[in-house]
Amino acid sequence: MQEEKLSPKVENFRKWALAATVLTYFLIFVGGLVRVSGAGLGCPDWPKCFGSWIPPFSRQQVPPEFEAGTFNVTLAWIEYINRLIGVIVGVLIAGTALIAIKNFRSEKRILIPSIIAALLVAFQGWYGSVVVGSKLMPHTVSVHLVLALTIVSLLIYVTQTVFYQSTGYNKIDNNTNSFLRKSVLLLWIFAIIQIILGTQVRSEIELILLEFPLLFEHEVLTVIGPVNYMHSIWGIFITLVSFFVAIGLIKRKDRTSYFARIMGTIAVLLLVIQVILGSALEIFGIPAILQVFHLWIASLFIGSLLVLYTDLAYAKGA
Amino acid sequence: MRSKGIYSGLILGVSGALILALLGLIVIEIAHESRQSLDQLGVVPEFSFIDQNGNIFGKEQMMGHLNIVNFFFTSCKGPCPYMNGKVAELYQKYSTTNRVQFVSVSVDPETDSLQVLRNYAARFGVTDERWRFLRGPVEDVQNLTEHGFHLAGELPNLHSTKLILVDQNGTIRGYYDSFDDASLDVLTVHTRALLRGMM
Repeated sequence: MQEEKLSPKVENFRKWALAATVLTYFLIFVGGLVRVSGAGLGCPDWPKCFGSWIPPFSRQQVPPEFEAGTFNVTLAWIEYINRLIGVIVGVLIAGTALIAIKNFRSEKRILIPSIIAALLVAFQGWYGSVVVGSKLMPHTVSVHLVLALTIVSLLIYVTQTVFYQSTGYNKIDNNTNSFLRKSVLLLWIFAIIQIILGTQVRSEIELILLEFPLLFEHEVLTVIGPVNYMHSIWGIFITLVSFFVAIGLIKRKDRTSYFARIMGTIAVLLLVIQVILGSALEIFGIPAILQVFHLWIASLFIGSLLVLYTDLAYAKGA
Repeated sequence: MRSKGIYSGLILGVSGALILALLGLIVIEIAHESRQSLDQLGVVPEFSFIDQNGNIFGKEQMMGHLNIVNFFFTSCKGPCPYMNGKVAELYQKYSTTNRVQFVSVSVDPETDSLQVLRNYAARFGVTDERWRFLRGPVEDVQNLTEHGFHLAGELPNLHSTKLILVDQNGTIRGYYDSFDDASLDVLTVHTRALLRGMM
């Protein structure tokens, strides 16, 4: 693979798009962390925190309109740092969109997803206030997550497209058949269903805990409905399907890129980790750190499929 | 060349995941600690009253349990029904454990006979021993509110509407405004944290 010399404009855009993608993934991780550490309501108001742009450091600094007893300096700052990272991500995505408008106006594949990502991230910022306002009702948290996945998917697509278009990588490599692409697409749909099931499991747990807040997590698992089993079975099913897709990629070595085969392998590995994490969540009573990784790896898996699909599809037009 | 790329990618991925795991564990731990670290606001003094079913109930019976204490009187038309309505909600919510009990002390023992307290308890759906309504000599009640729980106000009419969380060692851990749902949410968070600490 020969690196072509990039124009500064392209190189600049690549940096922005890549930074936005990586940091959005980091934000998804941090968002999960905020939820499991119970800091989601660390700031009862939005966008300010206890009425000011810099959260209080002590109970004495809490303004009288807020109940000082509800203030926890650690939780307030965890939530506030999450918001600050959100702002940085917002700026990066907005910057990416602005550069796309300026320099890639004719490249619809880059321009349109960049703009949609910027609009969605603005919406996501506002939706953060809805999540806080609803006191973290499970369905609002799920919408927040789905939006984040959509944004990161668009960013991945933009980043990958600009990398391919600027390096000519796709021209050298494969010309694969449509069967593999359809398989990857199917796997992606299966994965989305699995994520929805996963958010349902989490919603059920949280609704049970709202009703009976003193239950321990392992006790909650014993009263949770069949959705938990569906999530487990579907997870194993997806892992098997992804295994076959990966084998398909490797078998068609002459038609798939080395990168596609690596991505297929990564996707299977991520799913194997997910099955292990899912089982560990059951066995050890839903430990917080595993919850964060379970959700985060799901988002990485979605990303890996998208990269794979683009890689396979891109060769078609070459 | 390619395998070198795989290895460096693998090392990058694994070390990135480890750094994130470490960051995650630290954040979860400090958040957990911040909830656990409740103030110690004094020790409940010895007292011994009678509950609605005629059993002796005092500090001794509070030990080993988490206790949510409040003061009321049955003929109070103002804040008491609302306050005890909130306690009744918590009584239902916390029904999954016997380690948390509710202790409502009458500040008008003249009017609130055991029969009156039993009827009052039934009104709030009390079906087990997790919620006790106590009757004791008025001077002792006065002493308990003022010196035990540091609550001001002339009894019976000006009694406090705070809920007080007392841990399994008889130590006061927090005061919560029964008229503020956010404050009651914090009570639940604190109760949950203390309950975890008991296990």
